[in-house]
Amino acid sequence: MSTKSEKYSPRLMVLPAFMILLIISLIPLIYVLGTSLTNATIVKPFDHFVWFAQYLKVFTDGEFGTSLANTFVYAISVTTIQTFLGFVLAYALWHERKLGSVLRTLALLPLFTPPVAIAMIWKLIYDPNSGFLNYYLTKLGLISAPVAFLGSKTLAFPAIMAADIWQWTPFCFLLCLAALQSLPREPYEAAMVDGASDWYVFKRLTFPMVLPQIIVIFIFRLLIAFKVFDLIYMLTYGGPGNSTEVFSFYIYRVSFGQFQTGYGAALSIVVLIAISVVVTFLTKGREALLKRIGQ
Amino acid sequence: MNSMDEMVENTAKKTPGYFLRAIFLGRPIRIFIAVVFVGIIFLPILYIATTSLKIPLEISLSGSLFPKTGITGVNWVNAFKTVPLVHFLFNSTVVALASTILVIGIAVPATYSIIRFNTGGWFLPTWIIGTYVMPPIVVAIPIFAMVKIVHLQNNLIGLLLVHAMANMPVAVWLLDNYIRNLPKELEYAAWIDGYSKFDTLVRVVFPLIQPGVVSAAVICMILSWNEFLFALILTYSPVSNTFPIGISRFIGEHGMQFGEMSAAALAGIIPIYIMVLLFSRNVVEGLTRGGVKG
Repeated sequence: MSTKSEKYSPRLMVLPAFMILLIISLIPLIYVLGTSLTNATIVKPFDHFVWFAQYLKVFTDGEFGTSLANTFVYAISVTTIQTFLGFVLAYALWHERKLGSVLRTLALLPLFTPPVAIAMIWKLIYDPNSGFLNYYLTKLGLISAPVAFLGSKTLAFPAIMAADIWQWTPFCFLLCLAALQSLPREPYEAAMVDGASDWYVFKRLTFPMVLPQIIVIFIFRLLIAFKVFDLIYMLTYGGPGNSTEVFSFYIYRVSFGQFQTGYGAALSIVVLIAISVVVTFLTKGREALLKRIGQ
Repeated sequence: MNSMDEMVENTAKKTPGYFLRAIFLGRPIRIFIAVVFVGIIFLPILYIATTSLKIPLEISLSGSLFPKTGITGVNWVNAFKTVPLVHFLFNSTVVALASTILVIGIAVPATYSIIRFNTGGWFLPTWIIGTYVMPPIVVAIPIFAMVKIVHLQNNLIGLLLVHAMANMPVAVWLLDNYIRNLPKELEYAAWIDGYSKFDTLVRVVFPLIQPGVVSAAVICMILSWNEFLFALILTYSPVSNTFPIGISRFIGEHGMQFGEMSAAALAGIIPIYIMVLLFSRNVVEGLTRGGVKG
């Protein structure tokens, strides 16, 4: 065993991963940054420089503004609902040992269902003729004629969100349950001895102790929700109009549908900056909150 | 037994469920909540399962949950006859398996080195997380361009390499906690016995973190199987289409019937559900250990 190779072996161990990071993030980002200053198209990847013209276009592009706003509405809505439902479910089933472990296994199923299959399932559920939602709503007399949920400007977005909530609430449930189960037992025994009321225990013990982890779950889920693409692509293709267009889908259409890779690159950079701002804001917010509740 | 012991014992006995009454009034309600939860998880799956067995005419007329005019296997037969489903599923399996082997081979040493030897300081872990957080659409154009430069577009090898690279941060994130919690003493003992760092990883660390490796492998395999965006831009003919893309193209271009669509969807779901149920303990543990660290 030579000492020299020993000295460098930790670096050798990360080398392949390091190369991957170069290939999937650093080089692409430099490429995107470069292309965003040109009027490149997919057939002419190295066209001439237009400097910041693409960025100027971004700020006057109403459709992009809509897609960005849609993404934020979508991500924040589904994440809030999923974290809330996940927490309520976890809190309700926190002390159910056997039932809890069965539910944890079943919770994996929606999470790992292929999004393409989820889209097919919900397309069928919402269908005016063959879907059971319309069938049972009509039967119950709640609607008089079938509703084309995915064809409606107001209903399409909530309809997609419902599919998302079905898929991801179990994930939030899993993480919230783990957070609750990791709480120490002693404070509860002390509260018992003191004869504290149930609501008081929740307000003063459980909730403050579990809140930091709930916030982590929220942020984590939010960051994944920003990436939404496949459900939109398959359920509505951004429509009707552009009522369900999210930024991933818009950039996809600009780059791979209209072949405007230069403009797509500029959009990508703006999106990255927007997300970085949100992430910084959230992590700072979390720190401030934790300081306020004294942790 | 003195009174203090008694009190502690009573407390321990009462703890399960005791503090829940303020919001959920006891066991029956909790069981009811669990049943509703399971019902909602299964309802959509049950619905496509029954739809796939309905007679096509009934599907076009009614959305009833259970078939009323008898059941048939015709949707399943048609789904496999009109769509090259077996081929799509085969492509997905190849890509998922191969990319997972690559991912584990790269992520295990990388995670070990980052945690034990602090390789790359704070920067490398941050970079890995940042790469995971970044929406893939942002790098889609350059990745498409790079794959084209090496002539691996519309080719399973190109797609599986991209999947392996895209899942590497996930694998590191999942393995992190397993390696972090290993007692260092075992590794020190191995070094004293003359093992090199690499031998220690392979012969001491790897066997000990096997539950974590299984969990990361299963999750990466499923993520690759389900992946949509890269498969969409990198494979554009049925030869290399994976299940998600093959199916979505078929729906778009051939106007698939709902019955066939349900059968096809189930054909893609069932392998995943078998995997998840087989390895559920590992997967739950991996996700929760990865997810709840601050």
